[in-house]
Amino acid sequence: MSRDDSDVNRRTYLTYVGGTAAAVGLAGCSGDGGDGSDGGDGSDGGDGGDGSDGGDGSDGEDGEQLPEPETREEHLQRANLRLNQRAPWVFLNRQYSVYGIASRLDWTARRDERIEAQAISVTEGEPSVTITQSSMDSGLDPHDHRETPTDNIVVQAHDGVLGRNADGDIIEGLATDYERLEEGRVRFEIRDGVTFHNGDELQPSDIAYSVNRVVDSEVGIESPQSDQLAGVTGAEVVDGGVEVTSDGVNPIVFSLFASYCKVVQQDWIESRDSSEINSDMNGTGPFQVVEYEQDVEIVYEPYEDYWGDAPEIEELTIRAASESSTRVSQLLAGETDLIVNVPPQEVSRVRDEDTTEVTAVPSTRVIFNAMRYDVEPFSSPEFRQAMNYAIDLNSIIESILQGFADPTGQPTLEGFVGDNQDVEPYPQDVEQAEQLVEDSGHAGAEITLETPVGRYLRDVEIAQAVASQINELSNVSCEVEQRDFASLAGEVTSGNIEDMPHFYLLGWGNTTFDASQTIIPLLTSDGALSSYREDEEVDELMADSQNLPGGN
Amino acid sequence: MISPRTLRNLRSELSRSLLAKLGIAILAVILFIALFAPLLAPHDPTEQDLDNTNIPPLGFTATENQTTSEMVDGEVKIVEKQVVVNTTAEHPLGTDSLGRDVLSRTMFGARTSLLVGLFGTAIAVVLGVTVGITAGYYGGRIDDALMRFADVMLAFPSLVLAIALIGLWGQASLRLPDPLVASGIASQTMPESIVLPGTVIAVVALVNWVWFARVARGEALSVRDQEYVKAARSMGGSDLHVILKHVLPNSLTPILVLATIQIAAIILLESSLSFLGFSGAQLSWGFDIAQGRQYLSSSWWIATVPGLAIVAAVVGINLIGDWLRDALDPGIEGQGGAS
Amino acid sequence: MALGRFLLKRGIQGVLVVWGVVTAVFLLRFITPGNPVTFVAPLDAGQELRAQIAAELGLDQPLYVQYADYIVGLLQGDMGYSYLRGTEASTIVLARVPATVELAVAATVVAIVIAIPLGVISATRRREPADYGATLFSLVGISTPNFWLGIMLILVLSVQFDLFPTSRRPIGLFETVTFLVTVDNGIAAPMNVGAFLAGLRTWLWHIALPAVTLGTYFTALVTRLTRSGMIEELGQPYVRAARAKGLPESLIQYKHALQNTLIPIVTVLGLQLGTLIGGAVITEAVFSWPGLGTLVIDSINVRDWPLIQGSLIVIGTGFVLINIFVDALYAYLNPRVVH
Repeated sequence: MSRDDSDVNRRTYLTYVGGTAAAVGLAGCSGDGGDGSDGGDGSDGGDGGDGSDGGDGSDGEDGEQLPEPETREEHLQRANLRLNQRAPWVFLNRQYSVYGIASRLDWTARRDERIEAQAISVTEGEPSVTITQSSMDSGLDPHDHRETPTDNIVVQAHDGVLGRNADGDIIEGLATDYERLEEGRVRFEIRDGVTFHNGDELQPSDIAYSVNRVVDSEVGIESPQSDQLAGVTGAEVVDGGVEVTSDGVNPIVFSLFASYCKVVQQDWIESRDSSEINSDMNGTGPFQVVEYEQDVEIVYEPYEDYWGDAPEIEELTIRAASESSTRVSQLLAGETDLIVNVPPQEVSRVRDEDTTEVTAVPSTRVIFNAMRYDVEPFSSPEFRQAMNYAIDLNSIIESILQGFADPTGQPTLEGFVGDNQDVEPYPQDVEQAEQLVEDSGHAGAEITLETPVGRYLRDVEIAQAVASQINELSNVSCEVEQRDFASLAGEVTSGNIEDMPHFYLLGWGNTTFDASQTIIPLLTSDGALSSYREDEEVDELMADSQNLPGGN
Repeated sequence: MISPRTLRNLRSELSRSLLAKLGIAILAVILFIALFAPLLAPHDPTEQDLDNTNIPPLGFTATENQTTSEMVDGEVKIVEKQVVVNTTAEHPLGTDSLGRDVLSRTMFGARTSLLVGLFGTAIAVVLGVTVGITAGYYGGRIDDALMRFADVMLAFPSLVLAIALIGLWGQASLRLPDPLVASGIASQTMPESIVLPGTVIAVVALVNWVWFARVARGEALSVRDQEYVKAARSMGGSDLHVILKHVLPNSLTPILVLATIQIAAIILLESSLSFLGFSGAQLSWGFDIAQGRQYLSSSWWIATVPGLAIVAAVVGINLIGDWLRDALDPGIEGQGGAS
Repeated sequence: MALGRFLLKRGIQGVLVVWGVVTAVFLLRFITPGNPVTFVAPLDAGQELRAQIAAELGLDQPLYVQYADYIVGLLQGDMGYSYLRGTEASTIVLARVPATVELAVAATVVAIVIAIPLGVISATRRREPADYGATLFSLVGISTPNFWLGIMLILVLSVQFDLFPTSRRPIGLFETVTFLVTVDNGIAAPMNVGAFLAGLRTWLWHIALPAVTLGTYFTALVTRLTRSGMIEELGQPYVRAARAKGLPESLIQYKHALQNTLIPIVTVLGLQLGTLIGGAVITEAVFSWPGLGTLVIDSINVRDWPLIQGSLIVIGTGFVLINIFVDALYAYLNPRVVH
C-alpha cells in the first residue's frame, strides 16, 4: 500500500467529518469482499508520512510545540509518544511465536498466535496432523474463555463473522460484505449456504445471537470476552443481514470482528446445558469434533460441507504438554507434528534434525513491567524513566531470548495502527538513570518486581535480569518476587488499582493490530487493567481517537 | 538425658560402620559450606553476566550451536552458528542461563535446604511431641480426638497439602542479615541477607508434625503405666512435672532418629516445592533445577549439579539416620514421608 | 468373626476420618484469605455472576447450614460446579482417578518386583558386593528427588536413546480391557484380542518411565525393609531349628523368613501411600500424566476451588480406603492384631 493511497483516504475522510457527523461509508471500512482488507491500510499506515510530522519536533521537547493531531492514527501516535516520555512501563520486548514443525508439513506461522489447521498442507506421509500446545482447553464453549490454547481448539470448528490472513489483514468470514451505516451502526451481509456441523443452515439470527451472547450478560452466559468486542452494545437481524450497534463510532469494530467472536448456533446452544456446551462443538468451521477427552486430547475430521476450501488434512489431533522440553522431545520422536513455544535454546536441537524445522514470527504480544502511577516511587515520571534507562534491553534480548524478540519503546507494536515510528527504545544509560533517580527524590528506593512463573517465555529470567540491572544503579535496589499467575492476574484484573502490585511483569496480546486495544485497557483512566491513570493528555487523545474513524 | 550407655552404643556402631562415617563426613562438608558460603563461594550467586551464559563446567565440551534470529524483509530468519564456548577456571562448574556461577549458587543453595530442613523439623517436633504426649499421657477422649485429627492430616499427602496451603496462602519470606557479610568478614559483594522462606517452613512443619505425634504418643502410652511414673504422680507431682521429668526423656531417642529421617524428607519436600514454583525461594537447589531443566538438552549442568547436591545431602543425612537407628534401636523403621 | 468385628471397627473409624477430611477441606475455604466467592468465580467474572455464585453457595446462610448443604451435596456426588470449565467438578475429578490409580499401582508393582528379591539377596549375602550394591542403590533411591530422576530418565532414555515415549497416556488400562469385553446393544461382541494386546503394549510402553520414576523411592524403601527384616528373621531360633532339621535353605528363606518379613512391609507401605500420592503429583507433572496430581496443581494455579476441594477429598478418601484394606491384609497375615 503506497503512501499516496492512504493519504488520499484520509483526506477523503476528513472532508466527510467536516461535512456531516453521521457520515456513511467511512474511510477504509466499506467492505466489498476480500478488499475489505483495505481497512488494513491502518496497519501499513505507520510507514506513511503522517505520523512523522507529529514526531518530527518531538525529540526531547515538550508536547506543546507539536501540531495538533488530526487523524485517528495521529492521535494514537501522539499517545504513544506521550507514553514513551512518561514511561508508565519499563518497556521490554515483543514476543515471538516460535513453532517446531515436521518438515513434511507446509504451514506459515501467523502473527496472532492462532494455529488454523486448515492452512496446513501435508507434503509427505499420512494426511493426519497432531498439534501439541502448552495446555488443553478450559472447556469448549467458544465464548467462555480468554486464553490462546482454548482459542486454538475452538477456531478449528468455529468461524468468525470476519477473519484474518496470516499477515493479520482482514478477510471475509461468515459475512461476505460489511459496511458502516451510521455512527455506531454497522451491517454485515451473511454468506448463503453455510451449514453447521449438525447440518442446519446458518441463520443471520445465529450471528446476532453469538454477538449478544458475548456482549450482553443477559443472553446466555456472562462472557469474559465482552471487552474483546469493546464498544459493541448488541446485534439484531435487519432485512436478512445483521446490524451491530456500538457506543460512539467504534472505529475498529471490523477489526474486532476479524479477531474475536466465534459464531454458534442459537438453537443448539439454548437446548444444551453448560457442561454439554463445554464438551462438544457445533460450528460452521472446516473441522468437526470426532472425539473429545477433556484435558487429554481432541480429535477432528474435516467437515464435508464446509463453505470454504476443504482442508488438506484428514485427521487433526490437538494435545498438550506443559513442559517445553517435553514438546520438543515429542516432535523429535515423531509423536507430534507441530508444537508451540519452542524455547530459544532448543531451536538448534529441532533444526539439526532432518525431519523437523523451526518457524518463527513476531507475535502480537508485548512484555512489559508496569509501574503503578499512584504509589511512590513510581509516581515520579523521572523515576520511571530511570528504570527504563537502567536496563540493557538489547542484551536481555540477545542473551535470554536469543534474538527471538524485538525491543519496544512504546506500548504499541510495530506495524500496528498507531505505532509511532519516531519512538525508539530507551538506550541503557546508567549515569542518566542514577541522575534521574536523584532528581526524582527517591534515591535509596527499594522496589520489588513481581513476576509470574512460566507464563511467558523466560519470564522469571527476564525479571531477574531487569532486577539485577536496576540493582546496578547505585541508588536503587530491586528484588524479584515470583508469583503464581492466577493470583497476580487476579490482583491486576480486580478493577481496583489499590489491589494491584506496585511493579509487575505482564504480557499483553492484542490481535486487533490496533493501538487502542492495548492503550485503553492498560494505560488510561478508565482502563480495566490500568496501572496508569489521570494522564489527561493520553485520556483525551484516546477518547478522541475512538470517535474518529480510521481503524480497521 | 543421653545416658552413657547410649553414647557407648553410638560410638561402637560408628566405629563398626563405614557408612555412618561417610554420612557424618558428607553432612559436615555440606554444613561447613552452608555456614561459610559467603567466604567459600567464588562469586556472588546472584551476579549475572549476560555475556557469559551457559558456560560448561571445566573439562566438558566447549562448542555448541547457537541460534539467533533476525528480521529480514518481515520474515524471521534464523541464523545458526557454531560458537566456541570457552570453559574457564573462573566458573569451575559453569554458568547458568543468566551467566551466574553454578558452583556459587549450589553452595548458597545448601543454606535454603538446610534452613528449611532444620527449622521445619524443629517446629514439627515441638508441635508433634506436644500433641503426641498430651494424647498418650491423658488418653481417653483427648487421645481419640487428637489421633483422629492426626489421621485426617495423614490422609492428605504432605506435598499436596503443602501445595494447597502455599498456593492459597501465598508465600512470605523473612530476610535475616548475613552475619558474615554484615561483620565485614566476607566480601561486601556477597548477598547481604539470608532469605528464610517462612511460609514453606510453616507448611512443611504443619504437614509433618503428625509423624512425631504418633511416635511421642506411643512412648507416652508405654511409660504412663510404669511404676515409677505412677509413683511420681501419687507423690503429688504435677502433670507437667511428670511429663517433663519422666515421659519426655523416654521419647527422646525415637524422636531424634525420626527427626533425622524427617530432615531428609523435608529437604526433598522443599526442593519439590521449589521445583513446582511454590516455594518463592530463588536461591535454592529446587529452584535451580526447575530453571535448569529447560536447558537440559543443551546445558545439562545447570540442573544436574544442584540435583547431585540434593542427592548428596539427603544420602548423608539418611546415613546418619541409619547410624542412629542401628545404635539406638527405637523401632520406627520406615516412618516419615518424603516425596 | 473376630476379623469381621475388627474390620467393622476400622470401617467406622475410616468413615469418621473421611468425614474429617471433608470438614477440613470445607474449612480450608474459610482459613484462606479473601472472599469465598472469588475462589469459585472465574477471575474475570462480573458482579452479576459473583452475586449469583454467592447465592448458589448460600454465603448469606449461617456456616452450619452451608456445611450441611455441602455434605448433602457430596453424598449425592455433587462436588460443586467449576465455572472455569463449565462442568460439574465431580465429572472432571472422577475422570482423573484411573490415571493416578494406574500409576500408583504400577509403581507399587515395580517396587515389589524389584525390591523383594533385591532385599532377600542383600540379606542372604551380607557384606558381599551384592549387598553393598543393593544398599547403595536403596540409599540413592531414597535420596533422589523424583522430579529430577524423571527429568534424567526422559533425557537419557527418551531423548538420547529413543527407547520410551517422553510422556502422555494415550490409552487407559480400562479401555484396553474393554476390547476383550465389548457389549454392543446388549450383545457381547467378539473379543478383540489383537486390539487388546496392542492397547496393552501401548499402555505399558507409556507407563514404564513414570512408574519407574514414582516407584524408585518405594523400591528403595522396600529393599531396606526387606533386608533388615530378613536379617532379623534369619537370626531367629526357628530358623536355626529349621536348619538343624536339614530343611533346604531356600525354603527357609522364602517360606518362613520372608513371610514374616512381609508383615511390617505391608504396614509401612500402607503408611507411605501418602508419599506415593504426593510423589505422583510431581511424576504426573513431569510426564504430562493426566491424573489427580496434575489436576490439583492446575486447579490451584487457576484457583478453581471446586476442583481443588473435589480432588483433595478424593485423594483423602482413597488414602483412608486403602489403609483400611492394608489393615485387613495385615490382620489376615498376622491374626494376633485382631485381639
